[in-house]
Amino acid sequence: MLVKRRTAQAAHGRLASAAAGLGAKTIDRRSFLRNSGLAVGGLAAVSTFGVGMARKAEAGFVNASQPIEIRKNICTHCSVGCTVTAEVQNGVWVGQEPTWASPINRGTHCAKGAAIREIVHGDRRLKYPMKKENGQWVRISWDQAIDEIGDKMLEIRDNSGADSVYLLGSAKFSNEGAYLFRKFAAFWGTNNVDHQARICHSTTVAGVANTWGYGAQTNSYNDIRNSKTVIFMGSNAAEAHPVSMQHVLSGKEQQRANVFVIDPRFTRTAAHATEYVRMRSGTDIAIIWGLMWHIFENGWEDAEFISQRVYGMDAVRAEVAKWTPDEVERVTGISEEQMRRVAETFATQRPATFIWCMGATQHTVGTANVRAFCDLLLATGNVGLSGGGANIFRGHCNVQGATDFGLDIGNLPCYYGLAAGAWRHWSRVWDVPYEYFVSRFDAVPAKGGRNARTAEENMAIPGIPSTRWFDATMYDAEEIDQRDNIKAMIIFGHGGNTVPRMADAQKGMNALDLLVVADPHPTTFAALHDRPDNTYLLPISTQLECAGSRTASNRSLQWGEKIVEPIFESDNDYAVVYRLADKLGFSEEMFKNYEMVQGKFSMEPTPESILREINRGGWSTGYTGQSPERLKAHMANQDKFDLVTLRAPADDPEVGGDYYGLPWPCWGTPEMRYPGTHILYNPNIPVKDGGGAFRPRFGLEREGETLLAEGSWPVDSEIQDGYPEFTMAVLKRLGWDADLTPEELATIERIGGGDPEAIDAVSWSIDLSGGIQRVAIEHGCVPFGNGKARAIAWNLPDPVPVHREPIYTPRPDLVADYPTLPDAMQFRVLNAGHTIQQAAVEQGLAQQFPILLTSGRLVEYEGGGEETRSNPWLAELQQDMFVEINPADASARGIVDGGWVWVTGPEGGSRARVKALVTERVAAGVAFMPFHFAGWFQGEDQRGKYPEGTDPIVLGESVNVITTYGYDPVTGMHEGKATLCQIAAA
Amino acid sequence: MARMKFLCDADRCIECNACVTACKNEHEVPWGINRRRVVTINDGLPGERSVSMACMHCTDAPCAAVCPVNCFYTTDDGVVLHSKETCIGCGYCFYACPFGAPQYPRVSNFGTRGKMDKCTYCSGGPEADMTQAEYIQYGTNRLAEGKLPLCAEMCSTKALLAGDGDIIADIYRERVVTRGYGSGAWGWRTAYGETIQA
Amino acid sequence: MTSRAFAAAMVALFAAVALLFSAMPETMAQQVTPTASSVQEDELLRALQTGENVSGRVSIPDRQAGELIKPDNKGWADLSQGTLQTFAVGILVVALIGLALFYFIRGRIALEGGFSGRSILRFGWFERLAHWMLASTFIVLALTGLNLVIGRAVILPIVGENAFGTLSSWGKIAHNYLAWPFMISLAIVFVLWIVHNIPGRIDLEWIKQGGGFMKKGVHPPAKKFNAGQKIVFWCVVLGGAAMSYTGVMLLFPHLAGTGADWQFYQVVHAVVAGLLSAVILGHIYIGTLGMEGAFDAMGKGEVDENWAEQHHSLWAREVKSAAVSPAKSDEAIAPAE
Repeated sequence: MLVKRRTAQAAHGRLASAAAGLGAKTIDRRSFLRNSGLAVGGLAAVSTFGVGMARKAEAGFVNASQPIEIRKNICTHCSVGCTVTAEVQNGVWVGQEPTWASPINRGTHCAKGAAIREIVHGDRRLKYPMKKENGQWVRISWDQAIDEIGDKMLEIRDNSGADSVYLLGSAKFSNEGAYLFRKFAAFWGTNNVDHQARICHSTTVAGVANTWGYGAQTNSYNDIRNSKTVIFMGSNAAEAHPVSMQHVLSGKEQQRANVFVIDPRFTRTAAHATEYVRMRSGTDIAIIWGLMWHIFENGWEDAEFISQRVYGMDAVRAEVAKWTPDEVERVTGISEEQMRRVAETFATQRPATFIWCMGATQHTVGTANVRAFCDLLLATGNVGLSGGGANIFRGHCNVQGATDFGLDIGNLPCYYGLAAGAWRHWSRVWDVPYEYFVSRFDAVPAKGGRNARTAEENMAIPGIPSTRWFDATMYDAEEIDQRDNIKAMIIFGHGGNTVPRMADAQKGMNALDLLVVADPHPTTFAALHDRPDNTYLLPISTQLECAGSRTASNRSLQWGEKIVEPIFESDNDYAVVYRLADKLGFSEEMFKNYEMVQGKFSMEPTPESILREINRGGWSTGYTGQSPERLKAHMANQDKFDLVTLRAPADDPEVGGDYYGLPWPCWGTPEMRYPGTHILYNPNIPVKDGGGAFRPRFGLEREGETLLAEGSWPVDSEIQDGYPEFTMAVLKRLGWDADLTPEELATIERIGGGDPEAIDAVSWSIDLSGGIQRVAIEHGCVPFGNGKARAIAWNLPDPVPVHREPIYTPRPDLVADYPTLPDAMQFRVLNAGHTIQQAAVEQGLAQQFPILLTSGRLVEYEGGGEETRSNPWLAELQQDMFVEINPADASARGIVDGGWVWVTGPEGGSRARVKALVTERVAAGVAFMPFHFAGWFQGEDQRGKYPEGTDPIVLGESVNVITTYGYDPVTGMHEGKATLCQIAAA
Repeated sequence: MARMKFLCDADRCIECNACVTACKNEHEVPWGINRRRVVTINDGLPGERSVSMACMHCTDAPCAAVCPVNCFYTTDDGVVLHSKETCIGCGYCFYACPFGAPQYPRVSNFGTRGKMDKCTYCSGGPEADMTQAEYIQYGTNRLAEGKLPLCAEMCSTKALLAGDGDIIADIYRERVVTRGYGSGAWGWRTAYGETIQA
Repeated sequence: MTSRAFAAAMVALFAAVALLFSAMPETMAQQVTPTASSVQEDELLRALQTGENVSGRVSIPDRQAGELIKPDNKGWADLSQGTLQTFAVGILVVALIGLALFYFIRGRIALEGGFSGRSILRFGWFERLAHWMLASTFIVLALTGLNLVIGRAVILPIVGENAFGTLSSWGKIAHNYLAWPFMISLAIVFVLWIVHNIPGRIDLEWIKQGGGFMKKGVHPPAKKFNAGQKIVFWCVVLGGAAMSYTGVMLLFPHLAGTGADWQFYQVVHAVVAGLLSAVILGHIYIGTLGMEGAFDAMGKGEVDENWAEQHHSLWAREVKSAAVSPAKSDEAIAPAE
C-alpha cells in the first residue's frame, strides 16, 4: 500500500494556515527581494535561495487523464536490438517504459538506451538545412538545398565522372534506408558507396564469409546462455553491448561457465570473467595459434568434425606448429601455463563460443585474425551448434542490415557481389534494364601504368573504402585507379572522427568541391574543416522518427514504428534520397516499384513497399521471408518467444514456430512461413526448422580434395552427404523439378530467357519465384548446398593466417620475423603499409613513442558520439576526453590522475590534449583512449565551428588524431587498435 | 506489508549506467543532480566490482534523524521521502547519509545549496499522487501506478533489484547459490542492519 | 678498450636487454581470476579505519560521489542529534539559570549615590550603529540557528508542519542573508575597539576582585573597558570570526572540500554558537537588567557621570580632563557593557 504523508497538515488552525500561506512567498524570489530590501551579495546571492529544481515540466510529465499511445521501436545505438517502448501523448514522447516482452532485452537498457527519449527532444539537433556562405552557416530551405546539391553533383559528374562522388551511408539506416541508399548509388553509377561496417566488422564479414559462407554472427546473444566456455577477445561487451551481458552473465551463473577475456586492457568485461589474459594488442594470431598448438599437441581437437566439415585444417596445423609456447610468450607475453589452461578449457568444456569485436577486427591483419578465430572454432567443433559459434557482436544498431544490403564498395544488396550476374539479378528485381546501369558508370582511361576499363568492367570493380576517401581527394589523379579524384562527399549518418589520420581527413575535407552532411547532428564532417562554402547540412530524422526494420547482430529483424513525427525541419532518409534522386533525374526508374505517400515535405516511399522489394530479391541471404506483416506480428507477439531458443510455440496462430525476428536466412517467400535461422550451419535440426550446413561457395573441389561435406548432413535431409548449391539442373538430376509449381517454373524459365542452358543455371539465389529454395527445403536440404568450411582461403593474401606485426609496433625486433604484407594497389589506391613499417623501424619510432596506444568504446557514448555527446543525460557522465595510463608510466612522467596531458603520435607531429586517467586497467607501456570525442583538434577548441546551438555539450580530442596508417589488404579496414604514442604532462 | 528495498548484485553490475540515465529520463533530473550513481571499487584491479548506489531508504534513516525541520517521512512501503516545501537545504542529511544520496542543486554562481533532491524510489513526494505538481518537484510516481523504480526495471544485467526486501533477498540468495560465490548485498548492513546469507 | 673489456661490456649489455625482455612477459602473464577474487563488502567494512569510506571511481566530476559507503556519517548523525544538541541546549539553560541565580542572590547592581544628572558621551552614533547592527543580526542568527537545533522538538508540535516549514525557510533565508551584515559589523567593531581591548595589568586586578560584582561597594578601577568587557569583546571577535568562517563554508559547500570537512565545520559552528550565545546572554543581562545605568551607554550613548566614576573610573577621569582641554574629538572611543 502506498501512503502519502497527510498527517500534521494544518494541525493547528489559523496560525498554521496563515504561516502556510506565506510558504508560497518563499518561492517567489522577486517579492522576497522587494520585501527584504537587502542588497548584500547582489542578485547572485538572491538566486542562492532558489527552491526546487529548474527543469522542463512539459516534456516528461505523463498526464494520466489524457490517452497514452504506446509505440515500439528499436534502440538506435548498438546492435543488440533492444526494444524501446515509448509513451506518446499529443504527439510528444513523454515516457519510456521497459519492454518486458522482448526476448532480447527483457525490459532492460544500457545508459544510452535508457536515455534515448532525449534524442527526439534534443535541442542540439540540426534544426533546418544549412549551407556555408563565406565561411558562415546560413539557414536555407530544403528545396534550395536539394537544388544546389544536385546541380553541383551533376557538374562534378560531367567534369570528373560518377566515381568522383563518394556516397557514404550509415549503419543507422533502417534496412529499407540502407537498401535505398545502395540502390541510389547503383543508379548514380558508382561503387564508391560505403558505411561504418568498413571500420567495424568488414574484416569479420570477409573472414567469416570466406570460411563458412556468411558474414554474420552464427548464433545469438540469447544462445550464449547455453555456453560452457566463453572467450571474449577484443570485445568489451560490458561497455559496447551491455545488454548482451545479461545473457552472458546469466549463462555464466547457470552453466558455471568459464569466461575468458583476452584483451590488452582489464576491461569492465574482464572484471566479470573467470580468468583474464592480458595480451599485447596486435598479436591475436600468435595467441590463437598458440592455443591451437596446445590443442593439437594434446589431441583435444574434434577430429570427426574436422574430417566431415573442414577443408584444409592440415595447412593450419603446419602453421600452428611454428607457435611453440616459447615463441608465443616471446611475441604475445602470455605464459605457457595460461595458454594451456585456456586451450584445454575451450576445447574440452563444450559448447564453447568465441566472441570478438573491434579489438580483433581493426588491424592490418583484421581479416586474418578473424580467420584464425574461425579455425579455432572449427578445430574444436564449436560451430553450428547451440552454445557454440562465432558470436560476433556488431556495432551500430543496423550495421548488420546495412552490410547485408550492400552499403559496401564491393557488393550489391545481399552479398551478390558486383559481377554481371549480380547486376542482372538486381536489374530484374528493380525492373530496369541491365544496360541502364552500364550507361551510368564511368569508363576509366588507362593511366599510371594500368589498363583502361570500360564502364561495364568498372561496374564490377570495388570502390574506395571509407578509410581512404581523403587519400583519394589528395593523391595525384594518376595514382588513383578511377577516372578522377574524389570531389564530393555525400555523407548520410557517418562520423568523421572514427577513422584514423584525422589531420589528413581535415585536408581531404578542405580539398573537396562539395561536402554534404545529412545527419540528425552536425558531425565532425561539419566542423573539422575550414571550408568557406559548398558545404551543406541536411537535418535527417532519427530512426525513432520513422518506420522501418533493422537487423540486430544476431540477424533478427525487428520492425520499428514511428514514435513521433520528425522534429524541427528534419526529414527521414526515404524522403531525402527520393528528392535527391528526383533532382538527379532517376527517381521514376528507381522508385517505380514503391508505394509513394505524401511525407512531411515531399512524396516518399513507404518502408513496407521497400521491404517487399527486398523480399523479392534477397534470395542469397534469405531476406525473402521477412515480410512487413510477419515482422509486425513478431513485434506484437514478442512475449511468445522463448528466452533461450528464441522460438515461439508451434501452435501460435500468428508467429507459431518462428524464431524471433525471423533471423536470416529466412528462406522462400513469406507465404512459405520459414521460421528463420537462429543458429547458422546447424545440422542437428532439420533445415525446415532452421537447420543448415556450411556453404560451399568456392567450388566443389580443390586440388583433388572435395569441398563438400563428408558424412555430415542436416537432420532429415534426403541427401545424406555433401551436395552443391541447388540449381535447376540439380533439381532435374534429382527429379525434384516436378515439385515446382507451374508459376515457379514459368518464372525460372523467364530468368533463363528461354535458353535451356541458362534455365539450368538458374540457382536458388536468383530464382525470383523461390521455388528452388522451397523444393530443396521440402526435401530436407539447404538451398545453398552442404559444403566444408575452409581453413585455407586461397583467395586471400594469407590463405592461412600469418602473424604480422602492426605497422607501428612496440616490438621492432619482431618485424624482421613478422613483417606486414608488401605494398600493393588495393581498392583503387596504394596500400603502402610495408614501406611505412620499415621506415618506422629504421627511424626507431618505438623509442620515441614508447607507449602502445589502443582505443575503444565507452558505454555512455556511441560511434563518433555527436548524438550521445549532445544528450545531457549521457554527456554528464563523461565530460572529458581522457587517456588511460598505467600508474608506473604516469609517475615516471609526473602525470596525476585527472591532470591534463599531451598525447603525441608518430605521424605528422600529431598531438592531442586530454585528461589523464591513471589506472591499472592498462599495463605499463600501454595507453587507451576512447574514440567518441571530437570538437577539439590538436589542442584547438572548435566549438565555434558548429552551427550555433548544434554543438554537442561535450567536446574533446579524437583518438584518431593520433592513430596512424595501416590497412587490412582484404577490406581496407584501418588499424585502430595498435599504434604508438608518447604522453607528457601538459 | 511490503518493505521496499534496493539491492545491487555487484557480480552482475557492469557499470553501464543505465540506472543513472533511466532515472534522469524518468524524472527529468537536471544536470549536476545524480539521484543514482555507479561506483567502481578496485578499478582496473582483479576483483573489481561496480555498485549502483542511490538512497537506500534506510531503516531508521539517519537523514530523517538529523533533519532540523523534520521534512522526511517513511511511507508504509518503507520508502524514505521528503517534502521540498519544508526542506531548507541545510545539508545535514548529506552529512548524515552513509550513501551520499542527498543532492542539492547549485542555485547560483555562488553554488550554495538549494532544496535537497534525492531518489524517491519512483514514488513521488507529499503532493497528490501523479499530479504535475508532484512531478515537477519529485518526478514520476511509478509506485502509485503499480510499477517499480525504473533504474531497476531497466538495469541491463538485472543487477539492480528493487521490490519487497524479502523477495529480492531471495532472488539474490538463489543467484549466489547458483553461481557459487557472491560479493554481498552492498549497503544492506549499513542501511538495514542486516545482510543476506546464502 | 681491450677486446676482453669490450666483450664483458657487451655481455653486460645483453644481460640487461635479456632481463628487460624476460621481465616483460612475467608482468604481463600474471594470472588474474576476477570472479574468484571479487571484492567483498564485509571485508572492506572490516578493514576501514575511523574516518575512512568504502570508495571507488566514478566517471562524473564530483569526486565525492565516488564514496560509496560512509559508515562514519552515522557517527556524525549521532553526534549531531545527541551530544551537540545536548551541549547547545545545556549551555544556554545553564547560562540562563546562572544569571537567574545571580539576579536573585546579588540583585541589580545599583548606581551607588544615584544619578548625578550630568552625563558624558560614552559611544558616538557610529559605534552605536555598529554595535546594534552586530547585536540585532546576532540575535536573529542565534534564534534562527537555535531553531535548527530545537525547533523540531519545540516549535513544530505547536505550529504544525507547514507553518514550521515556512518559518524555517524564512529562518534560513534570514540566517544566510543576515550573516553578511553580521560579518561587516563584526569587522567594524573589531577595528573600532581593538585599541581599547588590549589586555593590561589593571585587568588582573579587576579580575582578582571579581569585577566588584560579588560585593556591594567594591568597584575596581577600569579604563574604557574593564576586563569583563574585554573578555566579551574577544569572545565576540574570535567566536564571531569562527562562526563567520565556518558559516561561509557551510553556505558554499564547494569551497569547503569534502563531506568530512562540512561535518567538521558544522560541529564547530554549533559548538561556538552555543558558547557565544551563553556569553552574549551574560552580556545582555549586565547591559540591561543586571546593572543600573548601563543601558544608557548603548541606548543614548551618554552615561551618567556617577556611573562612569563607579565603573570606569580611569576612563571617566580621562574624559573629564580631555573635556577641559578643548578641540578633542567628540567621537570618543569607548566600549559597551
